Amino acid sequence: MKLRHMLKYIFSILFVLVSLNGIAQEVVKKDSIPPKVERYGVRFGVDLFKLGRSAFDKDYQGIEFVGDYRLTRKYYIAAELGNENKTTDEPQLNFTTKGSYVKAGFDYNAYENWLGMENMIYVGLRYGFSTFSQTLNSYKIYNSQPYLGSEQAIVTGEQFSGLTASWIEVVAGIKAEVFHNVYVGFSVRLNQLVSNKKPDNFDNLYIPGFNRTYDGSFGVGFNYTVSYFLPLYKSNVKAKVKEVKKKK
Amino acid sequence: MKKIFILLFILSITSCEKDDICDKETTSRVVIEFYDNLLATNLKNLTSMSATADGFTNPYNVFSSSKIQLPLSTAADFTKYSLVLNSTDAVNLNQDFLQFNYTRKTIFVSRACGYKTVYQLDASNPFTLTDSDPTDGFWIKNIIIDNKTINNETETHVKIYF
Repeated sequence: MKLRHMLKYIFSILFVLVSLNGIAQEVVKKDSIPPKVERYGVRFGVDLFKLGRSAFDKDYQGIEFVGDYRLTRKYYIAAELGNENKTTDEPQLNFTTKGSYVKAGFDYNAYENWLGMENMIYVGLRYGFSTFSQTLNSYKIYNSQPYLGSEQAIVTGEQFSGLTASWIEVVAGIKAEVFHNVYVGFSVRLNQLVSNKKPDNFDNLYIPGFNRTYDGSFGVGFNYTVSYFLPLYKSNVKAKVKEVKKKK
Repeated sequence: MKKIFILLFILSITSCEKDDICDKETTSRVVIEFYDNLLATNLKNLTSMSATADGFTNPYNVFSSSKIQLPLSTAADFTKYSLVLNSTDAVNLNQDFLQFNYTRKTIFVSRACGYKTVYQLDASNPFTLTDSDPTDGFWIKNIIIDNKTINNETETHVKIYF
């Protein structure tokens, strides 16, 4: 009888303990779900294509630095800064363009990352401005009637300086983290000239940052970057708070 | 995912092809209209007139119409042509030398065309007419400059009466 009471007592205590333990574990589980934390900071990089082309193309020297700053969860302030020295050889013309450019704007990350991932598939907008000079190395006169002799290239070396151009650039690209804090990115750009100060009796056939010009005011470009992310602070994702509010 | 991204980057490096063809109006020839010397308002067709630039053996063309175009030199400020009327007829042929005197301007056209030459016929001495060496008389009776600036081939620059 005494033993039966004792067993009953022990069982009750164990039952309570186990139950408590279960409750305790549930509480711990709730706490153990970490809030989704995302990192904010600046990213600096360089255009690998321009570096590579400078090494292999004797008619081209150029560099472009890229950077962005994560302003909000989806929006990044972005900028490019570059310098180019390019000699263009056409059948009728040979000219050298030298100058610097800056592009500033924003990127919008349309990619919903999984926990711990920080990749980007983005679209963006830039305003570009370039200041440059053109040197006409040589030219040919176009003559559809070669009866009096074919046209020879005329060497001039005439320089047109103090030229400027500005444009709007629509960007689409991707950035992926390949190592910790190291990103590679690729972007394509469609440009639309806003202003273009042309030289007298010549044209801006190439504009640093804008690239080759066509008959209209349209242009294209791309870059292939490697960049380093410098985290500055972390912030919790607030998306879940909104859900709770909705339930209330 | 990362591997796909990297692959995309490598595939995306492309280059632009240049496909420009010069389709603009470039260096123009001098346009000459031939009129009847007896009835100055009437156009008159040439009879196999050969036009050969000075120093050349092959003629630029042999004309039998009333409107012709002759190329001018883009490297010198004058161009001299030997104009032989009835060039196929050994008995009736008549050779006159016509030299155009002008100044040149080089004007930018486009990427594909490069530059063109615009000629401005000399104000006081736009042409020099001389006879052939064993003289055979002038078949060209009168020359009137209609347009001093040679910038297109749609307008007539020179009128010749014969």
